[in-house]
Amino acid sequence: MRFTIITSLIILAAILLSACSEPALDDYSDVSYELIDQNGETVTFPDDFEGSPLVVGFIYTHCPDICSFITANVGKVYNEMDNPGDTKFLLVTFDPDRDTPEVLKSYAAAFEMDREPFRFLTGDPDTIDDFMRRVSVRTQESYTRDMDDGERLYFLSHSDKILLIDQNSRLIFDYGGSMTPVNIIIEDLEKLGP
Amino acid sequence: MKKLITLLITLPSFLITLNSCGEADEQQQEWSVSGEGISIEGAWARPASEGRMSAAYFLITNFEDEDDRLIGVRSDVARMVEIHESYEGENDMMGMREVPEIELPANETVRFEQGGLHIMLIQATRQLAEGDTFELTLEFENSGEQTIEVPIRN
Repeated sequence: MRFTIITSLIILAAILLSACSEPALDDYSDVSYELIDQNGETVTFPDDFEGSPLVVGFIYTHCPDICSFITANVGKVYNEMDNPGDTKFLLVTFDPDRDTPEVLKSYAAAFEMDREPFRFLTGDPDTIDDFMRRVSVRTQESYTRDMDDGERLYFLSHSDKILLIDQNSRLIFDYGGSMTPVNIIIEDLEKLGP
Repeated sequence: MKKLITLLITLPSFLITLNSCGEADEQQQEWSVSGEGISIEGAWARPASEGRMSAAYFLITNFEDEDDRLIGVRSDVARMVEIHESYEGENDMMGMREVPEIELPANETVRFEQGGLHIMLIQATRQLAEGDTFELTLEFENSGEQTIEVPIRN
């Protein structure tokens, strides 16, 4: 009888804890994208990050305004966390034609983020297209500029986004990437637990 | 003679939409600035690697009793320097467009800030890292030119 009561209490506690956890907006455990980081190392998303909470921003390095704030916000989340633990911080480009690993490395260095736990990721255009579709990041060419040496620069309209993904590759929060105060992202990260 | 202008600044960047929670918050700040002529305060720019883009931000206050206009910007820190504006377009996408000139109404402040007006630095001529500075010249229709020092910070 006593054993039954204790077992029931444990089951009830498990149910309550489950109800308190953040509901998932999506689950990326069924996908696998082979990407390349700023050091030229192959990375598989999300498999290589399973077990770690992820903060993921989406950028392109020709973007001077919004993307620089997304990048800086991802950096600030790490810098202002008391205990980042095993959290990983990813910046994924949606402009793979121009954002090679070398370009991303230089961009990361300018933000003093060419170091662990930050990874700047690119990939082949088809893979990046699939990835962006899955995470609902939209892009569209919006503005072009002809330089005096004949080079044609193009700029993109794009979604403004940072994602919080839990240890089980589930999407927990979807933020306005350049606008969200980092303390909100940190509070949400802390809810995910160790 | 110095003038005192009280500004009510709304910070739309604090308007947050969280898809799952729908939380929203808005903060307002009020403060006074004083000066004369055209005053440019709080200038800064984002880091950039050589050949890449950066953006500069500041507040311009026109303390004169007549309207003025910002009609040009230049610097040797980038191959092209332009006045730009970020805007939110369809499907929540952020876009950017060139703005040829900016009205500076008498006794008002115009903000160049994240997600709005900014000075676009196209293809930096050198690495712009935190702690560096560069000179930026702004040309006004009535008030001539002003060259300011812009620090790089994250």
